[in-house]
Amino acid sequence: MRKSSFLLLLGAIMIVASLAVGPAAAKSEQAGTVVFIHDQEPPNLQGPWVGNNLYATSLVLNNIFYGCQIRNSAGDLVPRLCAGKPKLLKKNPLTVRFTYKKTAKWSDGKPVTAADFKATWQVFINPKNNVISRTGFEDIRSVGGGRGKTVTVVFKKLYADWESLVSGGPYPAHIIAGKDMNQMFLNSIPVSSGPWLFDSWQKGVQLNVRRNPNFQAGPKMKLQRLTFRYILDTNARFQALRAGQGDVMEPQPQLQIADFLKDRSFRVSRKIGFAWEHIDIQVGEKGHAALKQRYVRTALIRGMNRNQVAGALYAQIAPGLKTVQSHMFKPFQTQYRQNWAKQSFSQAAVIRLLRANGCTGGPARAAANNNDIYTCPRVGKLSFRFHTTSGNQLRALTFEIIQRQLKSVGIELTPRFQTGGTLFGTTLPSRDWDLLMFTWVGSPSTPITIKDLYACGGDQNYMGYCNRAFSRILNKVSTTLDASQRAKLLNAAEARFMVNDVPSIPMYARPVFVISKRGLRGPVVNPTTEGSPWNISAWSK
Amino acid sequence: MLVAASFFVFTFVTVSGDPLAALTITPNVSPETVNRIREEKHLDEPVFIRYGYWVKDALTNQFGTKLLSNEPILPDLWRVMKNTLQLVIAAEIIALLLGVAIGVYSALRQYSPFDHAATSFSFLGLAMPLFWIALMLQVVFANVYQKTGHSIFPTASLNSVDPGEGLSFWIDRVHHLVLPIFVLMIVNMAGYSRYMRASMLEVVNSDYVRTARAKGLPERVVTMRHAFRNALIPIVTLSALSWGALLGGAVVTETVFSLDGMGLYFVNALLTNDPYPVMAWLMITATMIIVFNLIADILYGVLDPRVRYD
Repeated sequence: MRKSSFLLLLGAIMIVASLAVGPAAAKSEQAGTVVFIHDQEPPNLQGPWVGNNLYATSLVLNNIFYGCQIRNSAGDLVPRLCAGKPKLLKKNPLTVRFTYKKTAKWSDGKPVTAADFKATWQVFINPKNNVISRTGFEDIRSVGGGRGKTVTVVFKKLYADWESLVSGGPYPAHIIAGKDMNQMFLNSIPVSSGPWLFDSWQKGVQLNVRRNPNFQAGPKMKLQRLTFRYILDTNARFQALRAGQGDVMEPQPQLQIADFLKDRSFRVSRKIGFAWEHIDIQVGEKGHAALKQRYVRTALIRGMNRNQVAGALYAQIAPGLKTVQSHMFKPFQTQYRQNWAKQSFSQAAVIRLLRANGCTGGPARAAANNNDIYTCPRVGKLSFRFHTTSGNQLRALTFEIIQRQLKSVGIELTPRFQTGGTLFGTTLPSRDWDLLMFTWVGSPSTPITIKDLYACGGDQNYMGYCNRAFSRILNKVSTTLDASQRAKLLNAAEARFMVNDVPSIPMYARPVFVISKRGLRGPVVNPTTEGSPWNISAWSK
Repeated sequence: MLVAASFFVFTFVTVSGDPLAALTITPNVSPETVNRIREEKHLDEPVFIRYGYWVKDALTNQFGTKLLSNEPILPDLWRVMKNTLQLVIAAEIIALLLGVAIGVYSALRQYSPFDHAATSFSFLGLAMPLFWIALMLQVVFANVYQKTGHSIFPTASLNSVDPGEGLSFWIDRVHHLVLPIFVLMIVNMAGYSRYMRASMLEVVNSDYVRTARAKGLPERVVTMRHAFRNALIPIVTLSALSWGALLGGAVVTETVFSLDGMGLYFVNALLTNDPYPVMAWLMITATMIIVFNLIADILYGVLDPRVRYD
């Protein structure tokens, strides 16, 4: 055979082989398996440990260490391993009781009991264990119930978020007894109390979980297996889904989602999430002197067309997205009130306000081509440093829009973009900034601990904001056990104090997306850390 | 040299950001918790003291563990190194074979249509950025799947969900590596073909080749034994030097195709501001480049009998 003929034949064989191998591989992946493409791989399976505490880990663990209750797609706690909702027995000392279902068992046949919850509490309060947070657990005085199904928890002091705490999935006491928890569950988990079992982990590529055949506390998984496929590059994830290498994914809000909205072979579900973008204003020593003036902060918020920003950023992937008008609740929550609607966009009002306070040198009326910047008595020129993360297109676009809007009323913003590591690790805690835009990754429990963000001396109050009357209410909220009472207090306080003080400007709550193939039934957005597999038993293909 | 490089890289990674930054904006994680971790992990110490901790870990504990978790670094590094070597060695061998073949043929048929075409494609290959080729291939093959339902070449990852074992596993692996190898080898192949063409042209016009022809040797023997072997020497140098570029290219290729290799490992470690895996990566990569340079030196002696190592 001539050399050229041989090469031609070899090429033809390779193409035919690849055509044959491709569909064959794809077919073998379909039978009873759903491939969940995800952007981050857990470093290990330890859960809320230092160096972990990732959403990617929660996705795997939530259906292994099943809880008394889970958060549904509305963010509400609903019973799962428990027969009903946990009961508040006494307020002083705070005493609560819940009962695991008789059918609640570990996959090795051992029942889930009070001993499991007690062991979990002890794991979290053990100072040797590198857990990320002991909040709540450290407030427990005792856990009773022995090896029975009913658990009685007595707290040392009022802990408003008790229901979330006791609803969490317990560790298996019979497995962890006498073990060093810092070395447990690094690469595998031998048992499960939930609908799926850990199966295998090919690090860097995929993690497999399979149906737990002994799960009786609820409907079993219809699928045989779910494979978390770790594809870290954004574009590669979208292309892999289009190329048939996955069935479902939860993308960050990216413009590529627009292509899937038009594609009939995919279903895109979306919902507002708990994470909200906002601009904090530095009112402490290191911030611009003008920002200590309430009228300047009011001018800032009223000079921004926040609805236009939200609309411009998400026009293609979440049309109609409006600004969030509360720092306390999100638009889909029943407790949500439009407290910040009062600070509506009005350029004329901004100019009136600045002039009324003696500011000079700015435009008499708003103009897109304005270059004149106001200077105000005793606080100087209204020119502020604007910090946010670099490499984030949406944030860069937000900055461009509000920079133009504010400049047209005589307020100047100068960009200070930094990497996330520098911005959050160094700049934010240093308090040496004027305006800083970032996202708080909230949860349904955030309102209970919101004092950390906005009360005087709050742990994460980096703005230097302090309104004592407001702080008193936020502190009261953190020990108020009744959820509706908490919401009433928070909404009233936000409308009365925070909206007028303007220490922080709420921008928009980030939408959460799930893209799935048409043939896959079940996945819907769950904006909590449960993620879309919260209803895995309903998934089928 | 390696010590100086390791110190500078450690310093740059350390000062480029705070690995605890994400914790700062995580609700319910108090500054006390963040400070406790900072103390435990020596993040509050000066850079050179932290460098000392790293040196100790690297020498006594096989590069130790990652900064924040207890995961040992070395097993992860071995795993990704194997994957990267599969990618870069395959890409290098194919690039060498094709580049040399194209270069020789172009030189022997100078100014022929083939030569012009090869020259044009070489410049195109050298000019195109790796990441762009990779992205284009992903889009093309994703579109092909959407239109036909046939997954000709996977656009991400190292293997299928069920790759099987033995031969089936390796066929699946090759199938997944086709696009990344193509991307990685295209630039090197273009470079090799240009160098080989130039080197071959220089050799075929030299006196000893003319002498060989004058002796009446068949053209095939003149080309392969006298011209080709001598023309290969610059390619060996180029190939040895290209390992650094190849590993650099692997960073891009592995990131775009999400391959669990050293490049992606390096990028992830950088993004988390964790200097320990970055340092381990640096040491392994530097050692690999030194080894490949050593192999090139040995090959000189094989190809050119005048070169001897005393």
